[in-house]
Amino acid sequence: MQQVSPTSGKINLDPDNAEHGLAQLVLTVIELLRQIVERHAIRRVEGGTLSDEEIENLGEALMNLEEKMEELKDIFGLDAEDLNIDLGPLGSLL
Amino acid sequence: MGDLLYLYGLIPTKETTEQSFPSFKGFDNERELYPIPVGDTTAIVCNLDSGEYSEDSIKEKINNDMQWLQEKAFHHHETVLTLSKAFTVIPLKFCTLYKNKDSLTQTVQSNQAKMESTFELLEGNEEWNLKIYCDDKILKEQVSENNPAIEAKRIEINELPKGRQFFEKKKLDKLIESELEEEKNRVSEEIHFQLKEFVLQGNVKRNWSKDVTGKDENMTWNSVYLIPKSDVEPFLEKIQQYEKEMKEMGWQFAPSGPWPAYHFSSFS
Repeated sequence: MQQVSPTSGKINLDPDNAEHGLAQLVLTVIELLRQIVERHAIRRVEGGTLSDEEIENLGEALMNLEEKMEELKDIFGLDAEDLNIDLGPLGSLL
Repeated sequence: MGDLLYLYGLIPTKETTEQSFPSFKGFDNERELYPIPVGDTTAIVCNLDSGEYSEDSIKEKINNDMQWLQEKAFHHHETVLTLSKAFTVIPLKFCTLYKNKDSLTQTVQSNQAKMESTFELLEGNEEWNLKIYCDDKILKEQVSENNPAIEAKRIEINELPKGRQFFEKKKLDKLIESELEEEKNRVSEEIHFQLKEFVLQGNVKRNWSKDVTGKDENMTWNSVYLIPKSDVEPFLEKIQQYEKEMKEMGWQFAPSGPWPAYHFSSFS
């Protein structure tokens, strides 16, 4: 697959590179959801309502998810900035 | 309908008698700039056709014609910059227009005292800008390595089970981020404070985002200074010294100037 140099904060949906642009868009959405889940989990851990075992399981799951996300970003030649898309007047997504 | 007056800047009248007024093409790229003396202050203007350059048509161009805006903003900036090299100038904002000579004269007359004190402030001084950038990655490593509390926490985290480690590492990352921001502010404020030795006035402006600067590093400081001409060189030497000493630590310094004194004069 042809690797394009993605422009930070912009999704490239050029017809010739649609595959890559689509991967960037999909990974952006997954990263957004992953960060929402992670923040929610941190709040629950800090809230003190989870048992040690639950914290351990949740932490491991999130760690694996983060590692997997890093692998996917590597595969598609993207970095954190590329997934932080520009929402204009609303600022950056992440 | 008569012509409009496009006002570029105001200069002390006495300076216009000391030297001849240079020739500049005006905003419409046809007619020339000329001075209008109003007592001790002289307005530098050009005539514009009121049909072509009405308030509505200018607003329309500013909002919808980027090429026009870029060309005209560049013209305004270059003209005021050239004027400020020859005269003490109170620069006016882009597209400051007056309906006729009478309304301009009236406004200048009613602000005469304010302008005299501004000319006094600006005479013999230059406006300079300093932008400080920082490579967060390099500085973060230093903040993280040189902070005993962070190091102790890191050792403590390594003893924890994997899942727990994840949450504690996130907390530590957050702590390092906030320490990084504090360090950037502390260093920049210290530099700003030390530079005040060379300047008459110094103001802090909002930092620009990476989209505007086009740089990989974050802007951590953006300030403007009014500096006596004789102190500009030591001011720049001091910045060079910072650059030399702090480059390895991820800091970059971008002084620029002299600029028309937009930040140290106002006229409305």
